[in-house]
Amino acid sequence: MTRILALIWPTLRTALPDGYGSHRVPPDEATDVARAVDVPAMLDRLDDLSPRVEAVDRGVALVDVTGLGPSLGDERRIAARAVALVREVATLPVRAGVGENRWLAVLAARLALTARPDPAIPVAFHAFPAGLEATRAVLASLPLALLPADPETRQRFALFGLTTMGELAALPRSAVGAQFGAGGERLQSLARGEDPRPLTPRRRPERLTRRVTFEPPVEGVGGTALVLRRACAELCDALRLRHLAPGRATLTIDLEDAPALAVELTFPEPALEPDWIARLLIGRMEAVSRTRQARDRPEGEGEARVVAIGLALDRLSDPAARQLPAFQAQAGRWEELRWSLERLATRFGEGRLWRARTERPNASLPERQARLRSVGESREDPS
Amino acid sequence: MVGEAVAEASPSNRGALPTGFSALDEALRTGGWPRGSLALLDAPRGAGATSLAIGSLAAAQQAGGIVAWIDAAGCLDAATAERLGIQLEWLLVVTPSSVLEAVELAGWLARSGLVDAMALDLGESPDQAGINGLIAGLDRLGKLLVRGRSVALLLSGEWLRAAVARVAAVRLALEREAWLAVGRDLVGQRIRATVTRHRWALAGETASLDLWFGEGRRIDTLLPPLAVPREAAPALLPAALAPAVEVAEAELEEQPGLRVLSA
Repeated sequence: MTRILALIWPTLRTALPDGYGSHRVPPDEATDVARAVDVPAMLDRLDDLSPRVEAVDRGVALVDVTGLGPSLGDERRIAARAVALVREVATLPVRAGVGENRWLAVLAARLALTARPDPAIPVAFHAFPAGLEATRAVLASLPLALLPADPETRQRFALFGLTTMGELAALPRSAVGAQFGAGGERLQSLARGEDPRPLTPRRRPERLTRRVTFEPPVEGVGGTALVLRRACAELCDALRLRHLAPGRATLTIDLEDAPALAVELTFPEPALEPDWIARLLIGRMEAVSRTRQARDRPEGEGEARVVAIGLALDRLSDPAARQLPAFQAQAGRWEELRWSLERLATRFGEGRLWRARTERPNASLPERQARLRSVGESREDPS
Repeated sequence: MVGEAVAEASPSNRGALPTGFSALDEALRTGGWPRGSLALLDAPRGAGATSLAIGSLAAAQQAGGIVAWIDAAGCLDAATAERLGIQLEWLLVVTPSSVLEAVELAGWLARSGLVDAMALDLGESPDQAGINGLIAGLDRLGKLLVRGRSVALLLSGEWLRAAVARVAAVRLALEREAWLAVGRDLVGQRIRATVTRHRWALAGETASLDLWFGEGRRIDTLLPPLAVPREAAPALLPAALAPAVEVAEAELEEQPGLRVLSA
């Protein structure tokens, strides 16, 4: 017997007052919170509960909780634990529901009441009983408005005098198919508590990290270049053996008496070139460090000393399986060129490489019609 | 390998990028700019070198290429380039701090093999860094172009032209033949292009090119019906076209023709 836990929380769409499927969350409050939701981080936290987690939408997650009872307690406790994990990332009004399939789980979450019968486990929770017959008995009294039907079908249900799921479920399948088509048959299945769609667990994104601590601390960001290059080479070698390459590199530097610095480098295509990854990361980090020093540190004071560096490579994929754009000959090659241009910028400095864009085609002077923008960035040519 | 050497030397196997002007493609005898070549556009100021370079880059883009404009002179007008056929989306604009850096950047782009054609505009004013270093840089650029199979069109002032001549694989002398006008507006110029040096084919061929100014390209498609010589310069107009001049004046007023004015 499968038991699936659904967690729903307000998103920008569901927080709208008249949005379809609105969870009746106060719009102002929920919208502010929903903007800041880090969904991948929430899903990562749910991985601690079960290895089978699916993100259905930005506002719905499904967790397979089959067999967790003996170790984690009853379903309400499991739901409370899941809600607590999600709230570690964002304090959202999360509702939880449990059912035998994904439809029942989501429906249960929508029916979850904010009234909490057990003050010791504060969570908006609802569960359908185990077993299809028992579930159908509960579903029978629920209104048809809870089904995901389009307005026209709802209207036709009303014309036929159908108001509850039980009434729809009791009709012969052939009659429903004749009157409402394949969509009607699917809705009838849902009204009977049947949903053949399996839970499809997401693949947990992989991330390779390496952290090196300096004792004593190193003078300046530039002093870490050799160590970074070696760390980068080690990680790339490990990936090469698995025929994988990273799509993004992140470098963080912990400083002795200043807040940590972090830079991120996104590659146009999976890249396994440790030397260049390290050079580009150091180049960007030095630029960030210079900017901060000019802003925060008094003149004459030296650069902050580096205590540790952390390198992370993620967005791993097989470089041989890269998909090229099909319809524009230049598009794929431009991405390759952009990678070369990153190196060029490191060699010659910023402010050399631009792309032109027409911004004011009706301007009287031709030189004002187009503007140069830095390649890969939004910086504009000051001239 | 002998076979490779022969293949390398053969213009037909070398591959070429269209110049954007069929007459010039024929004059070059290689079907366009030979791939892997540094081509010098030898023209006095205002004689159409920039327009020809823009036309060639646009043609390279039409063939699916990515192009670059290395603008040491600081003269590129992107809006006009777009009107002359350049797709800005696939144009890389490089603004080096000096002429020497421009040549070095061109070398990097050539070595990448990802840029099909580039225009290297070194400007009119002499560089103080010295011409010897520049010639060495251009020599190196020529080798990198061969490796990357891309084409560089060199635009420079008088100060550099003579020195570059021996480095360039192709040298094209441009000379204005006539102005082109519609009504009272000058819309372009007719250029005589002479291939004065070609490393892989016979030199000496000439081609007559009509280069349009910024707005001229827009009326390019309209020109065939408009192309009734009105006040053609006698030296330029073949005798066969002379009857066309005798079109009734009233009719010409209603249908203003393309005029070819003596330069």
